[in-house]
Formats: sequence, structure tokens, C-alpha cells
Amino acid sequence: MMGFYFSRLVEIFPFFLKGLLMTSKIAFISLVSCTLIGFLLGIFRSSNNIILKRIVGIYVAFVRGTPFVVQVFIIFFILPEWGLQLDAFPAALLAMAIMGSAFICEIVAGGINSIPTGQWEAATSSGLTLIQQLRLVIVPQAMKVILPPLVGQYVLLIKDTSVVSVIGVMELTRVGWVTVVRIPEGLMVFSLVGALYFSISYPLILLSNYLERKMAV
Amino acid sequence: MIEFNSVNKWYGKLHVLNDINLKIPKGEVLVICGPSGSGKSTLIRCINRLEQIQKGEIIVNNTPVHDKHTNLTKLRAQIGFVFQQFHLYPHMTVLQNVTLAPVNVKKLNKSEAEKIALEKLEQVGLTEKSGSYPAQLSGGQQQRVAIARGLTMSPEIMLFDEPTSALDPEMIGEVLDVMVNLVSEGMTMCVVTHEMGFAKKVADRVLFMDEGKIVETGTPDDFFDNPKTDRAAEFISKILTH
Repeated sequence: MMGFYFSRLVEIFPFFLKGLLMTSKIAFISLVSCTLIGFLLGIFRSSNNIILKRIVGIYVAFVRGTPFVVQVFIIFFILPEWGLQLDAFPAALLAMAIMGSAFICEIVAGGINSIPTGQWEAATSSGLTLIQQLRLVIVPQAMKVILPPLVGQYVLLIKDTSVVSVIGVMELTRVGWVTVVRIPEGLMVFSLVGALYFSISYPLILLSNYLERKMAV
Repeated sequence: MIEFNSVNKWYGKLHVLNDINLKIPKGEVLVICGPSGSGKSTLIRCINRLEQIQKGEIIVNNTPVHDKHTNLTKLRAQIGFVFQQFHLYPHMTVLQNVTLAPVNVKKLNKSEAEKIALEKLEQVGLTEKSGSYPAQLSGGQQQRVAIARGLTMSPEIMLFDEPTSALDPEMIGEVLDVMVNLVSEGMTMCVVTHEMGFAKKVADRVLFMDEGKIVETGTPDDFFDNPKTDRAAEFISKILTH
């Protein structure tokens, strides 16, 4: 029987690859947007502007303090009642962007805050604008502190994409759910799902370890 | 060139600058000394608006420093600032440190900026270190690079905040030599320092501060040999015996 299911699984393997492609697509788009938004928010959060700092602080606390699956439900089921109807795919991307940017914001703010005030003062004194100070002096130094946990966060975000299966996006986990109805070998099906996630997150884990070692010097 | 009119500054309840009135003419070398916490660093940090003030005004080259509409980039480009802890950019080579502001603030092209940078590095005696990173240099060398970094902007004023206090004794001389050399070029300078030798040799005026006030000013010889106030006399005897 097991052998029969295995050959069925091999038969529908392209279906899994499609799921993997969707997961990769969500992961890639959301990692890029999370990084951009996260850096911007992180810069606000580490700034001297108390109002900006507070607003971002509330945003981060709210996102970090609620389960991701609840955030996905709010965006997909509750926003339509306020007139914002999104398809499952854009809703998934929006949810990922909101959640991921909050975590990346904290990593970036931590990195920027680790740079001694003297660096800001030297850059300020030489007449650089605030944006130049960040771009040329502060962020390049902060990257040493930011990069290892950032890549670690990427791994977590890739795995969190599985949550958007609850709103019907046909990504890897959803493919697993659909398959297990037809092939009742849960262990086999979800081992395959797990192995496919691992295939994209493991290279990043290695990269994160490598960066940690390199930046520690 | 620099003018303080009734400048007052508070950190919370602490009155760090108490009614400062001061005029520094072009080309003057002013040495500021006083016990720690007397407000001397704060005083020069106000000149390029690293610090805000709550009352009064500071005017540099006819520009009110703390005015909302002041173009800070333009103002700061005229003022070089040298810190006690150097604050070189550790991720850049010496040459990159020194060319950063000319390229990004003055918008010089890279080769022009490097030409000026190398001239200034030669002036501080560090041409051969242009490819090194700050961590590879001694404290004295780092401070000389920091001076060169200030000079590449061709400033009209140089501010020094205890430039030799973080240095090992054998490196103080090389930094002071560079500063003496600047004096001979006619640079307007404000130097917070306890280096009496430097003050006696090149200062036009010594200003003594305590508890946020200017307690006394005078020529270096007058100040060190015949202080007018007890507070200054006590301070001088302390730095002499230390």
C-alpha cells in the first residue's frame, strides 16, 4: 500500500514543485519589501524624533504581540468589511510585509543604536546631511551588527509563509493539505513538504552562520 | 568672526553655559581651559551647532548659528572640528576618511578631492598612511588624520575639543606640532586644552571657565603667571603639579 502511495506522490510531484514556486515567490517578494520597509522603520525608530519613534514603537509592539495567523485573518476577512477587498495572494504579501518589517525594524534599529554617537557627531560636523550620514557613515558600520540576525530572520519569514495557507494561497503547505486528502499518508506527504522548505531555508542558515563568524572578527 | 551674545544653555536644571559673551576675531588662537564640567567643551560644540542653546545667539561669519533658516551644511563646511576621541570612520581608509566630506558636501570630483586630501595628509606628515585603516594607526596618527579631515574642507575656523587628552604622552607632541603649524598659516582656532606649553607658545588669548561662566580671560603670560581670580590660580597650580 505504502509503495502505491509513494508512486502516486511521485506522480503528483510537479504539483509540489508548483507549491514550492509559490512559496518562493511569496518569500522573495515579501523579503524584499520587508527589508525595504524594515530599514526605513528601523531608521525612524532609532531617530531623535520622539513622535516617529513612538508611532513605530506602537506598530512594532502590536505586530510582535499578536499571532501572525490572526494578522492574516484581519487582513483577509476583516479589511473587506471596511471596504478593502484583497485577493488571497496580495493579502498574503501585505500580511508578510507588515509582520516581517516589524521584526526587521527592530534588528536595524538595534544595529544603528550600536554605533557610537561620536560617529554621528563627526559626520554632522563635516557638513553631511542626515541622509548622507546614514548612507555613508552609520549604516555601513551598522551592517556588521545587522546582517547575521537579518539573514536569520529571513529563515523565519520563509517558514512563516506557510501560515498564509489558511486563506487558500496554493503554496507548499496548502499543497500538502490538499494532497493528504487524496493520499492519506500524512507522514510521507508532510515529510516531503518539510524537505522542500528545508531546501530553501538551509542555504540561508548556512549563510547566517557564515556571516556570524565573519562579522565577529 | 565668531560672536557669542548672552548665550545660555541648560541641561535640565544644570546651567551649563551662563550668559556667555565672547568675540573671537579672524586669525585669533583662543585657548579655553577650566575644570571638567565647566562647560568648555559645550561652548565650542555650540559653534557648529552640535549643541542647541536656549537663550542668546552665536554668530559665525554673519550667520546666526542657531537660526531655524540657517544652512547648516554651508555653515559646518567652514568649520573644522577635532574630537578628543578622533572619531575617524573605522570602515574607511585614511584617504576615504579625508575625502568623504569634500566629495559629498563640496561636490568635488574624486581626483580633485584626493589631490587636496594628499596635500593635507602631507601637511600632517601621513602621506604614506593614506591606504591604511584607522585601527592600524596609533592614537597620535589617528588624531593627525582627523585634523587633515577637517582641513580638506578648507575651513576658516578650526575647533579642537581636548585634542591631546586621549593620547599617550609620547604622541602629544606630534599632534601639537601640527596645530602649531596651522597657527602659522593664520587659521582661526578655538582649542579646549590643558596643554600650557601650547597655550604659552601660540595662544593669543586664554579663557578660563568654571561652572558655565567665563571667569577670566587674558594673554597666556598674564593668565598663567598672574591669574586675577583665586579660582584660576587654584586651577593653574593643580595642572602644574599634576
